[in-house]
Amino acid sequence: MTRRTLFTTLLGLVLALVVGPLVWSLATSLKPSGQILSAPPALLPDPATLDHYARLGREGVGRNLLNSVVNSLATVLLALVGGAAAGYAMSRFRFRGSRFLLVFFIAAMTIPAYSLLLPTQLLFDRIGLLDSAVTLPLLYVAHVIPMVVWVTKTQFDALPIELEQAATVDGYSRWEAARKIVIPGAKPALIAAGAYAFLVAWNDYITAATMTSSPALRTMPVALTFFQGFHGREWGPLMAGVVIATIPPVVLFIVFRRYLVGGFLSGAIKG
Amino acid sequence: MMTVTDRSAYPTNRAAGIKLSKLTKKFGDVVAVDALDLRIEAGQFVTLLGPSGCGKSTSLHMIAGLERATSGTIEIGGRLVSEVPPQDRDIAMVFQSYALYPHYTVWENIAFPLRAKRRRTSKAEVEERVRYASSVLGLDGLLDRYPRELSGGQRQRVALGRATVRQPAAFLLDEPLSNLDVQLRLEMRSELKDLHERLAATMVYVTHDQAEAMVLSDLVVVMNGGVVQQAGTPLDCYNNPANTFVAGFLGEPGMNLLPGRLERERLFVADGVRVRVGEPLPSVVGRAVLGVRPENLALGAAGDDGITGTVRSVELLGSRSLLKVVVDGQTVTASVPPVVGVGPGEEVTLRVTDSAHTRVFDADTGSSLTVSPPAPLPGRHDTLHRVTP
Repeated sequence: MTRRTLFTTLLGLVLALVVGPLVWSLATSLKPSGQILSAPPALLPDPATLDHYARLGREGVGRNLLNSVVNSLATVLLALVGGAAAGYAMSRFRFRGSRFLLVFFIAAMTIPAYSLLLPTQLLFDRIGLLDSAVTLPLLYVAHVIPMVVWVTKTQFDALPIELEQAATVDGYSRWEAARKIVIPGAKPALIAAGAYAFLVAWNDYITAATMTSSPALRTMPVALTFFQGFHGREWGPLMAGVVIATIPPVVLFIVFRRYLVGGFLSGAIKG
Repeated sequence: MMTVTDRSAYPTNRAAGIKLSKLTKKFGDVVAVDALDLRIEAGQFVTLLGPSGCGKSTSLHMIAGLERATSGTIEIGGRLVSEVPPQDRDIAMVFQSYALYPHYTVWENIAFPLRAKRRRTSKAEVEERVRYASSVLGLDGLLDRYPRELSGGQRQRVALGRATVRQPAAFLLDEPLSNLDVQLRLEMRSELKDLHERLAATMVYVTHDQAEAMVLSDLVVVMNGGVVQQAGTPLDCYNNPANTFVAGFLGEPGMNLLPGRLERERLFVADGVRVRVGEPLPSVVGRAVLGVRPENLALGAAGDDGITGTVRSVELLGSRSLLKVVVDGQTVTASVPPVVGVGPGEEVTLRVTDSAHTRVFDADTGSSLTVSPPAPLPGRHDTLHRVTP
């Protein structure tokens, strides 16, 4: 077997592992209930049906989807505004304790988030933040912000200070220079950090299941578990939910893929 | 470069003078610029010249407002601007790295200063001025390109275009040619000179390249260790260096400096050196340093008064040769015709072609003891370090 054939086979295998479950989920979500567990298994639905998607609608999963979207977008917005501002300050200003703060942020990234779950739940319960609309965005932002600060700070470091100086000499205030020059210059890192924040919030199950209990606040991943009963699973609606939940991250990756790789690389390799 | 004859696109010249008074910058305990006093007249081309770390760029950044002065004042056009932010100082600046905005096209880069809210320039005027600036700098065909698609010389032109698209009170240029190759640097140097003449603008230029300073400047300010060593016309600084630093720094190679003794009858002596120095000179006798430029030395005959030593090397430059002679452990350089007829190891005597070209410096302070005729100094430095008898 030539090197090239081996490589192609390996790639094919990886592709099958990644795409296979997605295709299977999509096919299952379109199969009539009786066909899902048939033996031998059928790959293609015959006939295709949207019944399971309609079922999701009837069960109010639309509301859960909206909750996930709102939580994720709020996380992205807050994490980018706060994290990029902190990253900029750490990159451009030397102040007492700035180095310590940076080490502190990096150290925070090393703490497993789930180890903080119980103390956080107790704390939030005590201060009345448990099971509220702001609970999850707050926790997600706290979780992603060290990474956002780190990625944006590294990008700002790589952005020559002369560009901002030139803009101020050209007649722009510091804020205008940031808007016109710094933010566009840091676009790859901002997009990468935003995508990371979005995915953390979008994919989360444990935090949402622990910190919220009201049906009105239920997110998509939590809602989908309700289709897994003690005595069996409702594969049709479950897979329909999985397909819907997969769409935003896939679209995100397709639209921003050139920034995602570049953005994280720019965070990893200075200059 | 395209020549534009219609200058009506440019309104009246707004060049303003700049006055720096006791301008000081400290970084912690390090004094980067020490009590700089300088008056630059409107329309003058002034160069801050010196080696790396001499404080020239820091001074320029303070004028721009990019660096806050520790003490002292800055006036531009008679207005005190020490506490005014850069965007309100009415200046334009060209950076060593060009600082072109990478996500903007050439057109957008040049138009950028005009589109600032505080300038309130109409679209039609922006269009007209960008077209004028780009045609002057030969950028017409490149307006839709991004900086990454340009050569070094083209980027340099865009940076100049962005600075010249409006008429600021002064242009500040921070080593703008240092990233270009030699050929392009010479070309751009001439273009800068033309640009200054056409705009009649006040320009403050920072460089460590003395050739640029000589060619471009009305006034050269030689700095070292944050202190002005001499301010004067290029020729005056070259011919009448205020001290041994300026003497050694200016010229390629710099002035030969030989320690020795000044005797009566203006006779300078040291081991292997016997030179009659020029007038006028204060009647001092004692330890001193003789300064003589390489081009003022020629091969003499044995027994002549002059500088006697052993040839170390002969460096052929084409039109001239540099003859390096070791005299009492110190190397003396003479710029001589290309064919010298001597080689390493031979003993030679270098004679001073004209004693009027010699300079004598104080052995302790390094200050010039030679009294030169006063040269006209536009915007003369207040604390000119010229030693008077």
